[in-house]
Amino acid sequence: MTASIDAHRPSLVGSSVRRVNDPRLLTGSGRFVDDISLPGTLHAFILRSTVAHGRLISFESGESPADIVLGPDDIAAATEPLPFVWIAPDQQHLHLPMGDTTVRYVGQPLGITVARTRAEAEDAAELVEMTIDQFPGVADSLAALEADAPLLYPDHGSNLAVDFHIGDDPDVLEAAMAAAPIIVSRRLRIPRIAPIPLETRGVLADWNVGTETLTVWMSTQTPHHVRDQLAHVLRLRIDQVRIISGDVGGGFGAKEHLYPDEVMVCLASIRLGVPVKWVEDRNEHFTATCHARDAVHDARLAMTQDGVFLAIHTKVTGNLGAHFSNVGTGPFRVSGLMLPGPYRVVNAGAKISGVFTNTTPTGAYRGFGMQEAAWVRERLVDEAARELGVDPLELRLRNVISSEELPHLTPTFQEYDSGDYARSLTMVRDRVRAHVPIVDPNPRIRRGIGFATHVEFTGLGPSVMQEIVGFRLGGYETAVVRMEPDGSVFVSSGVMGMGQGIETTLAQLAADCLGVGMDRVSVHLGDTAQAPYSAAGSIASRSMTVGGGAVVTAANTLREKILRIAAHRLEASAQDLVITEGRVCIKGDSSVGISLEELAEYSWLGWKLPEGETPDLEVKFVHDPSNISYPYATHAAAVAVDLDTGQVQIERYWVAHDSGVVVNPRIVDGQIAGGVAQGLGIALFEKVLYEENGQPNSTTFLDYLIPLASDVPDIVMDHFETPAPHIPGGMKGVGEGGTIVAPVAIGNAIAAAVPEIAGLILETPLSPGRLWELLRIGGLINE
Amino acid sequence: MNAPQTVMAINLVVNGVQVAREVEVRTLLSTFLRDDLGLTGTHVACEHGVCGSCTILVDSQSVRSCLLLAVQVDGTNVETVEGLGSLGSLSPLQDAMWREHGLQCGFCTPGILMSIEGEVRSGASAEAICDEVLSGHLCRCTGYQNIRTAIHAYFATKDES
Amino acid sequence: MRPGAFRYVSAISLDEVLQNLSEFGDESTLLAGGQSLIPLMNLRLARPEVLIDLNRIPGLAGIDIVGDELRIGAMTRAVDVVTNSTVAGSLPALSRATAFIGHPQIRNRTTIGGNISHADPSSELPGVLAALEGSVTLRSIRGERIVGWNDFIVSTFTNSREPDEMVVDVRFPLRTGWTFAYDEVAPRHGDYPLAGICAGVQIVDGVVREMRIVAVGVSDRPVVLSEVAQASVGRELDETLIKELSKIGREELHANGDAHASSEYRKWLIGTLITRILGNFALESR
Repeated sequence: MTASIDAHRPSLVGSSVRRVNDPRLLTGSGRFVDDISLPGTLHAFILRSTVAHGRLISFESGESPADIVLGPDDIAAATEPLPFVWIAPDQQHLHLPMGDTTVRYVGQPLGITVARTRAEAEDAAELVEMTIDQFPGVADSLAALEADAPLLYPDHGSNLAVDFHIGDDPDVLEAAMAAAPIIVSRRLRIPRIAPIPLETRGVLADWNVGTETLTVWMSTQTPHHVRDQLAHVLRLRIDQVRIISGDVGGGFGAKEHLYPDEVMVCLASIRLGVPVKWVEDRNEHFTATCHARDAVHDARLAMTQDGVFLAIHTKVTGNLGAHFSNVGTGPFRVSGLMLPGPYRVVNAGAKISGVFTNTTPTGAYRGFGMQEAAWVRERLVDEAARELGVDPLELRLRNVISSEELPHLTPTFQEYDSGDYARSLTMVRDRVRAHVPIVDPNPRIRRGIGFATHVEFTGLGPSVMQEIVGFRLGGYETAVVRMEPDGSVFVSSGVMGMGQGIETTLAQLAADCLGVGMDRVSVHLGDTAQAPYSAAGSIASRSMTVGGGAVVTAANTLREKILRIAAHRLEASAQDLVITEGRVCIKGDSSVGISLEELAEYSWLGWKLPEGETPDLEVKFVHDPSNISYPYATHAAAVAVDLDTGQVQIERYWVAHDSGVVVNPRIVDGQIAGGVAQGLGIALFEKVLYEENGQPNSTTFLDYLIPLASDVPDIVMDHFETPAPHIPGGMKGVGEGGTIVAPVAIGNAIAAAVPEIAGLILETPLSPGRLWELLRIGGLINE
Repeated sequence: MNAPQTVMAINLVVNGVQVAREVEVRTLLSTFLRDDLGLTGTHVACEHGVCGSCTILVDSQSVRSCLLLAVQVDGTNVETVEGLGSLGSLSPLQDAMWREHGLQCGFCTPGILMSIEGEVRSGASAEAICDEVLSGHLCRCTGYQNIRTAIHAYFATKDES
Repeated sequence: MRPGAFRYVSAISLDEVLQNLSEFGDESTLLAGGQSLIPLMNLRLARPEVLIDLNRIPGLAGIDIVGDELRIGAMTRAVDVVTNSTVAGSLPALSRATAFIGHPQIRNRTTIGGNISHADPSSELPGVLAALEGSVTLRSIRGERIVGWNDFIVSTFTNSREPDEMVVDVRFPLRTGWTFAYDEVAPRHGDYPLAGICAGVQIVDGVVREMRIVAVGVSDRPVVLSEVAQASVGRELDETLIKELSKIGREELHANGDAHASSEYRKWLIGTLITRILGNFALESR
């Protein structure tokens, strides 16, 4: 750790301090987008396609009483296409046209009405007449590749959008597979998931006619990125646009880019010269906000007769939806990159096929490709153990990369940094061994325990690596740490708070480095007029690693300056000084010192400074890490399966994890618990449903089920900390791991509970109805 | 017999304050609280009664404010999260939620607080609240574990005092 | 998601409701608990012209035993049925079934009359009403009529109420010597059931004299499993019989399939629920 901490002062890093923004949220004083009103605000409703595939042949606003109605032609004429961000090799489409009259999914935004209230905007929308010439549609990625499938882009000639390899050369990989004594091969599926932040998306756009500036309050994870994109699309200079992201009611990846409907709201404000608000309703959220996952994996694990892994490969057929999302094939690609997991393999690779279908585009969601990789790899490992007749945990221990082998470069070009992967496995194993199994007299209730382990890609990422993979976002973060003239500390960063507690943990880091209390530090995020530039914002579990690392270095640099100034004032050597309880003192003699208030006041006056020192107590540091950070974890689930109903109850759940230095243990536990709950949802409930032709069947919370309190058990968590060697502060990301591993830990537990169907557990969700079908195939439903 | 109306005057008590307003009859109670009274602590996350974010108390009973019309609460006593405690003086329940990290993004939190408050008044146990009442809310961030911890911690402090 | 425009009247007497119903008929919609209606209005799938609010009418809520019937006023809230000692004492299956409706915050508003009238095939209470061969009382300015459940509940979201009528109470017969029970399987706590069973049995000297058994959530309305009931008559309710009845139930039922549950799965669940409920009856009768 590089954060210097005074020996006699309890460290804030590692302390479960209460979160700084909670009192506001607990008293209803939060500032979510819909909580903000400006005088004269009008309300918008977005007109969307109810047809999965077709052409809009007329859009008539007719007698609509709206203040303004904009249709596709108005929108197309006033905007530039929206650029995609992560571009795949040979990707032909590089941006999304605005105001496209070809309709390719239900929910596609086509126009906007604006009126005095939301209800009146909806009334106005009912009077707009849209005529759509309907074409046949296709929702499933494999069906879309059939010869007779309707084509989304006839000019492209096929629904196969892109096709490429990652990892080892395909010939090398096939040779390795051909030479391997045992290959375990399965087709595994990860269904389409909806991220479902409790706060939907929302925009309040305010065009100032006099200054020709656009201020936009938006629920987003990436304020600067959205600003840049919005300025481009609206043909404004970037300095004319200001994004303010206040409280964000969950993001999970769904709010990490600019959506076309958000542009329409801004355009309406520009046209009307008044503030316009639009808050997505839940019904439209289910089709208007990016989905995620939806991949078919034809995967193989090669090994020796002794169960030594040799090679792993997957062919991913990924459903892109109606067009590339901003990240396009990114999640499918990350599945391939992280497929080897914590195991030693000689060869690894993936073939990625991205497919267009008449569905909502798929994009980022917690676990980004890695949940799919974990499902594929850890199911294959359990299946391998079953074929070999060995204990699945022992097979994992046999193949896991040892701590001595780190750093380790995988065949998919990941340079794992630090840790002890085997330790997370043995920790969970020991917890499970201590667990007293529940004895049930009912033979139709089966119980089993499943394990899963992983290494995770967090803290995107070195900017040079972003360039190599065609991901047009800088991978750095910048921190501004300033001691104000009264000794209070201002911290600003381009990362965003969305419930993960980053406002608190950044304050902990800064307070620790500067030797002040938490109450002297305030963290400012989300306003592009104030926060330093951030290309990537809060995605990819990067806020604490990349953003936190920036704060640590900036605060330490400021601390050094404060010590130099204090040394000058106290006529001492800076090395002999400590900062404690808001004072700079001589080590071992606290009677000689100067308060930070006094020091700061005089510094900002430019008085009593050492020669060559500038008066400002402000440091700005740009942190572009040298590598990704790789946390890891092992999970185990104990389940009860009711053979007579197909219902699964998670009875116990264990996690042992290492995400580097833990800044706030309670917040880290919260991230894991929440992540596991989302993973449990994927395992047991969640799937966005479409009819074959692209009509969506999950558009309310009655059709799309997420876990309730009664579904999620308390989780037993063990932490250990191996610092990230290349991150100031040593932190690794912790936002996504729970979601990545939980589905397959639960899947493996169900396989362990009902070995008769172990080979059939290839797809989530294992909902009661689906599991019952497997039980029937497994011969467990007779009488 | 009263003729059907499109706009009506309503009188009610909100967080102890008498309120008189004229509303369109189609105005949802959640919209009325947020837009007409500026009480934005009541959040709206589904408008079909499932998520529980908009839960408030009407005459001490927890209800979904997105499934009531504002005109229906004429003459009632309405309580929202703003009435529970204030920034400098959190209620014991709010404090337990803070201490135990029972919230992350905080969007679902006001509804959960009001549900618990209503059930506590009607004498429900901590266990019943954790099992039954909490299942009437969607929280996407916490995994519920720390909310349960907070409920038990709140009952522990309540029983002490 | 905001309701379209409508006109509203908050009736303060039953007469006022009946007058309004008579005047507006098909254009009017009755607002009881609103826990199903208002979501549909928010989605603009329900578009009432005139909304008649029943919530302020005195005397429409109440739970009483009248003769051999449990009479529940139409505007009685689900929460009050769940906690009511008369219901718990006379018809515990109804307390239990009502406790399966949604969550406490929903049950604080849901009304018995509204729930039955909504005729949701996945709802618990129509199944209980069917198992008991209960009825509803309909009133209009033309008079009053009592309609048995079988005539009242027509199909999904459809009942036989005339446009000028309203349900004023729901009547559950109390059958002496019978035991009733309700159970269901749902994806999550408080969800609509994938399948549910309400069953009642009269056991005399260890032998089944008569049985009523109804499945919910499997078709467009509650389904009476008459073959199961018939096959039980005159038999001892032991493991062999229960197994046989469970099998008959699975075979007899024509269950709908959807995204959450296939027809075959629903049939299996019905068998499982028959086994569980009748197993408990057998235990209790010993």
